[in-house]
Amino acid sequence: METFGYTGKILRVNLSAGSVSINDTLKYKEFIGGEGMSMKIMWDEVPAGTHPFAPENKIIFGAGPLCGTGAPCSGRTNITSLLPSSPFHGIASSHMGGYFATELKYAGYDLIVIEGKAASPVWLRIEDEKVRIEDARWMWGKGIFDTQAMVASFMGKEAQVAAIGQAGENLVNLSVIRTGASHSAGGHGGVMGSKNLKAIGVHGTGSVKIAASGKDWLELDAYMMSIIGANNQMVVPSTPQPWAEYSDKSSRWTGRKGLFWGAANPPVETGECDPHDMQSVGLRTMKAIFDLGAGAEKYTVRMGGCSHCPIRCHSQLKVPQLEKYGLDPYVANTCVGWSGPRGVMCYGIKDFDGNTGSDASIVGNAIGTTLADDYGVWCNYAQIGRDLKYCYDKGVFKRVLSAEEYASIPWSKLLSGDASFYFDFYERVAFKKGEFSHIADGSYWIAQRWNLGDDYWNDKSGKLWTRGGYPVHHSNEAGAQVGALISCFSNRDSQNHSHMNFIGSKLPVALQKEIAGEIFGSPEALDAPAVYTKMNVYKAKFVKYSLVRSMLHNSLTLCNWMWPMAVSPLKERKYRGDTSLESKFYSLATGIRMSEKELDETAAKCFTLQRAYTIMQMRTADLRNTHDQTTEWPITPDHAKDGSNIPQFTPGSIQMEKSDLELGRTMVYKEFGWDETTGAPTRSYLESVGLKDVADRLAAAGLLPG
Amino acid sequence: MKDFPEKREGESWFEKPRSRRDFLKMAGGSIAGLLVTASLAGAGKWEDPEAKELRVWAIPSGVIVHDPSRCVGCKRCEFGCSTRNSGKVSAELSRIKVSRNLNYGVEGVTAAYAKADGQMGNFRIVAETCRQCEKPACGNACPMNAIYADAKTGARVIDAKRCVGCGKCVQACAWNLPTVDPETRKTSKCTSCEGDPTCVRLCPTGAIRYMDYKEAEKLLWGADANSGATVVSGATA
Repeated sequence: METFGYTGKILRVNLSAGSVSINDTLKYKEFIGGEGMSMKIMWDEVPAGTHPFAPENKIIFGAGPLCGTGAPCSGRTNITSLLPSSPFHGIASSHMGGYFATELKYAGYDLIVIEGKAASPVWLRIEDEKVRIEDARWMWGKGIFDTQAMVASFMGKEAQVAAIGQAGENLVNLSVIRTGASHSAGGHGGVMGSKNLKAIGVHGTGSVKIAASGKDWLELDAYMMSIIGANNQMVVPSTPQPWAEYSDKSSRWTGRKGLFWGAANPPVETGECDPHDMQSVGLRTMKAIFDLGAGAEKYTVRMGGCSHCPIRCHSQLKVPQLEKYGLDPYVANTCVGWSGPRGVMCYGIKDFDGNTGSDASIVGNAIGTTLADDYGVWCNYAQIGRDLKYCYDKGVFKRVLSAEEYASIPWSKLLSGDASFYFDFYERVAFKKGEFSHIADGSYWIAQRWNLGDDYWNDKSGKLWTRGGYPVHHSNEAGAQVGALISCFSNRDSQNHSHMNFIGSKLPVALQKEIAGEIFGSPEALDAPAVYTKMNVYKAKFVKYSLVRSMLHNSLTLCNWMWPMAVSPLKERKYRGDTSLESKFYSLATGIRMSEKELDETAAKCFTLQRAYTIMQMRTADLRNTHDQTTEWPITPDHAKDGSNIPQFTPGSIQMEKSDLELGRTMVYKEFGWDETTGAPTRSYLESVGLKDVADRLAAAGLLPG
Repeated sequence: MKDFPEKREGESWFEKPRSRRDFLKMAGGSIAGLLVTASLAGAGKWEDPEAKELRVWAIPSGVIVHDPSRCVGCKRCEFGCSTRNSGKVSAELSRIKVSRNLNYGVEGVTAAYAKADGQMGNFRIVAETCRQCEKPACGNACPMNAIYADAKTGARVIDAKRCVGCGKCVQACAWNLPTVDPETRKTSKCTSCEGDPTCVRLCPTGAIRYMDYKEAEKLLWGADANSGATVVSGATA
């Protein structure tokens, strides 16, 4: 049967048995794809209480129905499994960009479900319908870059590869799965390692069919290309432009005359980037100078990114100084792929080893990023550097490390800003050398192991958002209670940009509030930065929209770092975007007509399933008190210079208030149709969305509210 | 998208009425006086005194040129090309080839991959595009005479009704640009999209241009070839 959008096949690989089988994707279509389908498979097949590194755990690589269709920003791979760094090994998803998922679709598969554990190291080879489990004993121990090259040597240069480094092999909790030059999924590297699975290579010569005509499909693409902004849907340029009514220095729309990809041959000028010019869309986000400072211009070869995405947010640099350290001069990454390793140099990178000024900062950062990417170490959204600093400043290392081990660590390099410290740091972490290496167990586990108390959790500069061991990720600083509450519903850092792609647009606040009113029912859904008001139902609707859209994007699979597109750069559209674009693309691609509301409610169901799985894992329905609470610092008033409290909701303060956030939780639970006391899904809600089996299992475990 | 084709390859969209006079006009004066025994809308075939079959081709009006310095590897060109010309989305079927060289360049994986072309090396992305050769090896190799010069652009295009998917054109092309669709067993190659190539339109960095054939020749192989851009063989500047 011909399928549209979907390939129709799920590849299932049992590494214990060495067997390969195929399932029908459409059996799961009510869970959309990617993350939604993965939640359903995990719910059905992996019992709560399973350890992430047990053979009974599964790891699912998922592409959605829009991946491979050319829909803009649709190159992402969703990976769902149990998360080693979580206190209760919560179900969670990591994601990587690049070209892997698109290639998987062309090979004929929507998802790969990996089960069991191989007796010795293997890699998985997928070439259209030919799927083989190959010997990886010789690959084991190699870094990710060489591993990818080895796989491509076997399969041909077209192969796309997802692999783990030494960190994943050694079951480091904070480890990644990586594809291509710079695309990492943080958190699940050790799960692959526990299965003795070093890499997955995929090459596909097939196609993805679109239900609509090619003409309609390309017309929708052209319409969308008029609405798209820069990275994180910022629609205002960072400098005044002839075409632009507004500008904002903090915008990621950095393209302008006189700004170049300086290391291109010949250098490429980013230029004016008029939003009506479709052939400069990929030039507007010159992210190297945003992530690494103005000094990065001369090192920039180009901006890279993912398949079918016109917004190129990965800076690809040539840093010749790296050769002095035995590293290749080419290095790429984006956002926290840079700042995470930079954070490890927690006292700053200063002039070192003949590198000075901004060059020192860039060279140093590039060393850290290269090593982290090759060993495959995750930074827990930049938390690892803050944990390192806390443990050093508070004397934790002196307390828990042997004197010999303590003396062996080149602290002077860390303190003086000498970035060659990275070599020592990442080797210890990736190979689990010594007690120090537990810094990469994740925040919850080091707090347990090293007896870090309330002071650790409540340290404002530590930025830990919940006792789940993950930090701020666009939380209270991002839309007041909206960002704060979004960050309470995950089993890891929230990775949610649904709200950021709107409130970070850089349009004037009054205009944003007007648009918020159209989407959420009142301009009160949105507060001006640091001018916060009390919780209201419109903010709750904004929270639900953000959580649901993130699940939707990870299911379709679209990039939540660009979608949804509530705003546009076009004055003639009064800067309005189109929040129904996802449903338009989904309907045309699959031939399954879904309105914006229907698709949102389907994603809400998928999100609720994750919630139900979390309840089974935590063995309590009371998620309000056991899961959804923040640490203390976000709900503690700031202090004035005289030591007095600055009450919350004083302009300038972004601190939250405990009772107000509790009201917010109640309102969000209500928006989802969950129990307003516990935040757990009710039988009536579950049955209304076709999840009676979920209600039954929760009831049997005594975990259904009411 | 006013100029989107109503029909796809192999359908009557390609079979516009073409007169012998039109063909002669396109092909120029060089064939005047020769006896054209078959007209394939843009390509003529005749026998020389040694009974060797010769074909003469209209000069293409334009060619697609790709700039490795500007290309960001997003593959929007491949999606647009395969959507317009094959009615489905596929890297394999795209007539402009980015995916095949994306990670490791034209040369493929080498021990020096970290400094070689490609995303896993120096980030340079070299696409391969059809040169619409003046003497197209693909067309001359086709045993079914299924490849002809498009009346409007001179692009060497495939009549899917005649094509049997034998792959002789793929083998004949020095760059293996024609591609046999494994699903339809028909071969596809660059059509220049009637002079308004979809790949050019969809490129978000202006890395792909549709250039006058002579201008492209000059840029790629002529006096301007060392204009500062790094030149590789083929339609890439």
